[in-house]
Amino acid sequence: MRRQFLMIAAFALVYGLIAVFVEHSYYLLILAVVPVWAVMGLAWNLLSGYSGFVSFGHAAFFGLGAYFVALAQIRWGLSPWIGIPCAAVVGAAAGLVVGIPTFRLRGHYFALAMLAYPLALLYVFEWLGYQELALPMQREQGFAYMQFEDHRIYVWLALALMVIAMVITSLVERSRFGMSLLAIREDEAAAEAAGIRTLAWKLKAITLSGALAGAAGGFYAVVLLVVTPPAVFGMLVSAQALIVAMFGGVGTLWGPVIGAIVLVPLSEVLHAQLGNVIPGIQGVVYGVAIVAVILLAPEGVFWKVKDVLQQRRTRAAPAPVHVTAAISAPPPRAASAGAAIVFEVRNASKAFGGLKAVRDVSLQVRQGEILGIIGPNGAGKTTLFNLLNGFIRPDQGSILLQGDDVIGRRPYQLCAAGVGRTFQVVRPFRRMSVLDNVVVGAFVRTSSDAQAREVAQEALAQVGLSEQADQLAGTLTNKQLRLLEIARALAGKPKLLLLDETLAGLGATEVEEVIAAVRKLAAQGITIVIIEHTMQAMVRLVDRFVVLNEGALLAEGLPQAITRDNAVIDAYLGKRWRTANA
Amino acid sequence: MTQFLENFLQALVAGLLTGSIYGLMCVGLSVIFGVMRVINFAHGDFMMLGMYVAYYCFGLLGVQAVFGASAGPYIAALIAGPVIFLAGVLAHRLLISRVTGMRGSALQSEGHYAQLILTLGVALVLQNGGLYVFGSTPVSIATPLASNAWSVGPLYGDRIEVFVNQGQTISAVIAIVVVLAFVALMNRSRLGKSLRAAADNPEAATYMGIDVARAHRLAFGFGVAITAIGGGLLASGISFQPYVGLEYVIVMYAGVVLGGLGSVSGAFLGGLTIGLVQQLSTLFLPNQLQNTAIFVVFLFVVLLRPQGLFGTALRRT
Amino acid sequence: MLEIAGLNAGYGMVPVLNDVSLRVGTGEFAAIVGPNGAGKTTLFKTISGIVKPTAGGIRFDGKDLLAIAPAARAHLGIAHVPEGRQVFPSLTVQENIEMGAYTEAGRRAWKENLEKIHAWFPVLAQRAKALAGALSGGQQQMLAIARGLASSPKLLMLDEPSMGLAPSTADEIFERIVAIHESSGLTVLLVEQRVAEALHFADRGYVLEAGRVVLEGSHDELKSNDRVRQAYLGM
Repeated sequence: MRRQFLMIAAFALVYGLIAVFVEHSYYLLILAVVPVWAVMGLAWNLLSGYSGFVSFGHAAFFGLGAYFVALAQIRWGLSPWIGIPCAAVVGAAAGLVVGIPTFRLRGHYFALAMLAYPLALLYVFEWLGYQELALPMQREQGFAYMQFEDHRIYVWLALALMVIAMVITSLVERSRFGMSLLAIREDEAAAEAAGIRTLAWKLKAITLSGALAGAAGGFYAVVLLVVTPPAVFGMLVSAQALIVAMFGGVGTLWGPVIGAIVLVPLSEVLHAQLGNVIPGIQGVVYGVAIVAVILLAPEGVFWKVKDVLQQRRTRAAPAPVHVTAAISAPPPRAASAGAAIVFEVRNASKAFGGLKAVRDVSLQVRQGEILGIIGPNGAGKTTLFNLLNGFIRPDQGSILLQGDDVIGRRPYQLCAAGVGRTFQVVRPFRRMSVLDNVVVGAFVRTSSDAQAREVAQEALAQVGLSEQADQLAGTLTNKQLRLLEIARALAGKPKLLLLDETLAGLGATEVEEVIAAVRKLAAQGITIVIIEHTMQAMVRLVDRFVVLNEGALLAEGLPQAITRDNAVIDAYLGKRWRTANA
Repeated sequence: MTQFLENFLQALVAGLLTGSIYGLMCVGLSVIFGVMRVINFAHGDFMMLGMYVAYYCFGLLGVQAVFGASAGPYIAALIAGPVIFLAGVLAHRLLISRVTGMRGSALQSEGHYAQLILTLGVALVLQNGGLYVFGSTPVSIATPLASNAWSVGPLYGDRIEVFVNQGQTISAVIAIVVVLAFVALMNRSRLGKSLRAAADNPEAATYMGIDVARAHRLAFGFGVAITAIGGGLLASGISFQPYVGLEYVIVMYAGVVLGGLGSVSGAFLGGLTIGLVQQLSTLFLPNQLQNTAIFVVFLFVVLLRPQGLFGTALRRT
Repeated sequence: MLEIAGLNAGYGMVPVLNDVSLRVGTGEFAAIVGPNGAGKTTLFKTISGIVKPTAGGIRFDGKDLLAIAPAARAHLGIAHVPEGRQVFPSLTVQENIEMGAYTEAGRRAWKENLEKIHAWFPVLAQRAKALAGALSGGQQQMLAIARGLASSPKLLMLDEPSMGLAPSTADEIFERIVAIHESSGLTVLLVEQRVAEALHFADRGYVLEAGRVVLEGSHDELKSNDRVRQAYLGM
């Protein structure tokens, strides 16, 4: 963190010094505009880069900021010194107003809706008669109105704004704020299941992002002295914010800055030199830059370089020593028949269209037991889990967690209430380190980020992944990914852990290792429900079985009894098996 | 009251006529989304290219000389179709295919937005490159029909008279014919069915032996070609410059979303609705706010009924 | 007819298949069984070209399959009936079968194939105009198989045709598959979780676990099925 701030300071110093030696006012203007677009890029990045919700509408915040500063000075004589901070507030408010309805949308729909806001505003401002607003010159009291003879001062002010934006970004990046956004980008459902309040974080992000964009717009008005709707609400503004960030690197502090430093002067100079001969050269440069970045380095220059370096480092690193945890004999399991009921499902049903995925299922989970839910593919096991942790609502029936009806609670609320889960298809946050993956899961139970880290370290140690803590999650093996997901769920200190096909696709020895890890958790008093497709291995793991077939409860009982149950054998191996082996 | 009724009928007619052309343009966009699940931001700019192709065909390439000033603009608009089809196929092969389809899915979460942003880049290049190639002076295809109108009425005593613009009417008829022809192609022909199969499930389509990349390329070509014809039809009614695409891209998106993303007939109805909203809004709102009215309708539809006014929920997630 | 040697494949950095070798002779009915996540579907996808292998080779009818584009493989005579049916929901039943006949061979034999298909699955004739998305699971499975048959394949690959179906429906589907195999002599490669049926009808069986073939043999060899039993029921 400290190093980061030092680098920002050093960069600002160098940039500020360059301005000292520039005389030409046009180049000074470019020097002043670069940080403005860097701020726009940072603003865009704060929302779209970290959370993955791509905005094509940041011009809305920028334009509102610009018009606020201009109008406030014209109408009320308000100085930009106050106007720009107010523009940030306006941008923040706009972000919140836009965010509340628009975050109901995902993917394409979100991007399209965001596109409509600035364009609608553009026409509104034209209609209001603000085709061209000029900021009144204040020769007498230039300083009071942020108007300077010496254009270097604009460069320094722009730089100050950029430093503020960078500091905010780096603070966000290192905190649970940024980590939560990253988790949302990687996999929103998994993030929610890990206890992240996704909507709240997204709203915070768009508010902060709107504030930065509003301030950038306000300052832009001061520098250019003239505000027109196309210049501040136009598509090129939103595009430019996105492009500088994309070019430099999405989801990084330095990406937007790099992008702005390279692209803004390039297009400005080309525009000045060739603008008469080749009109539109500026737009063409941006267009080509986007196309090139998407085709050659879709994650931006920063990530590309980082990935290349990372690969080199991993290749150079010694092969990881494979430590196999000694498999101890399973501890004797306490009989749980008399224990309290932690979790109860009563007559739950869920249909998708005509398909009844879960039909009238009732089951009870007792404190401290390991309950296995088995059934062939398509039996409704995962749907049942999705009901249990709040991803979907049952059509009928009730779900009780320690006696409270929890239907209608969001996954993060259930996570906070002590329900952790893993996924059938492993859903790690691949671009985050193993430790960070688990840290995200720890937020729900911790108030400070340092504490979250501690809890995460413990959780990793519990599943035996401490050595891989700094690796990117994307580089783990299948077994390690399964353990990582367990650790992430563990970091939320669950009372009840839902494991979805944790043993799928593992080799025989790997299965034993994972079973040992799960047993260890059970021994610590965590209640576990595990889904599996086959009974193999499960027989040695669970205390009790529930068998699902075609969405309905087929059988329930102790492992030994279940494997002899004719209905179960039929569902698994077909009637022919029983007749042939009878 | 009669004055309002006359204005209303006049706006209704104008809305239906422009709406038909919007409908055609929306169909083009919707094909691309329906088959490829790609949101093409450059769609308005391919439309702009279509307008210029029609413009130059009409003037420089002698379509006017051969077919006359009345029929010429429509012939020119239809020529724009195949020309832009080739441009679209080329753009897909060189650029868009690299981030979509089977290859795109390998890029995981980043790949999801790659195509959106790529087409944004293409849009910027086309708009601003167009500025250089075509110049910034607005142009338009001159046809006498654009200023001729049939008058309907007098109705209701003799107090109401509604004018129906001849040029727009012919354009609307052509638009509807093109849409019907395309719907027939998609529903009846082997090619159309294979495109729909590739849209439904690209993986299973591959198992059938359908070359999904080719299907996408053709869909992209058809999509931009259809919209280019719409643009060509529009080009005799309005004056345009290289940035014209921006004004229409939102119109098209609004229409397509209204109709339910991916549905061809829904897209036509959506475009029609947008035309009506735009024209009817002039009864209550100042002219400059026409487009704002469209955006507001668009936002409401996206937020309240993302599956579209006419569509059912998408089968594929 | 199909020969797979030393195949390795996976998604991204996660390997799924490990040194898989198997062969299916002309006219043979071969079955691959194994638990979820063992790599059965991945194996099929690799044969069809959706997943690229990292090592090993696949030969079909003497040709190197890996040198052939995925979409072109269907035209060689491979019909892949995918897991979860994957019919085209917005196309009609008839149009779905037409898409199966997208291959040259399928187009030439369209009439005969359609007659046979309608004889095997009369319900598809009755519901020809219905949208495939509106069919029941069992009917969709029949349609998916019909779609495969319409291409006049040399090899029919069936991925878990009983998945998510009621046992009686699954039994019915199974009977049809066996009938089709016996009446037409078509080569069939089946992936199945209903181990008993799969191994009962198959001439050859392979047990896939964690991406490896752990057991293989003829119908008779697999009859001594203790290991299979243990693998599936943990007894």
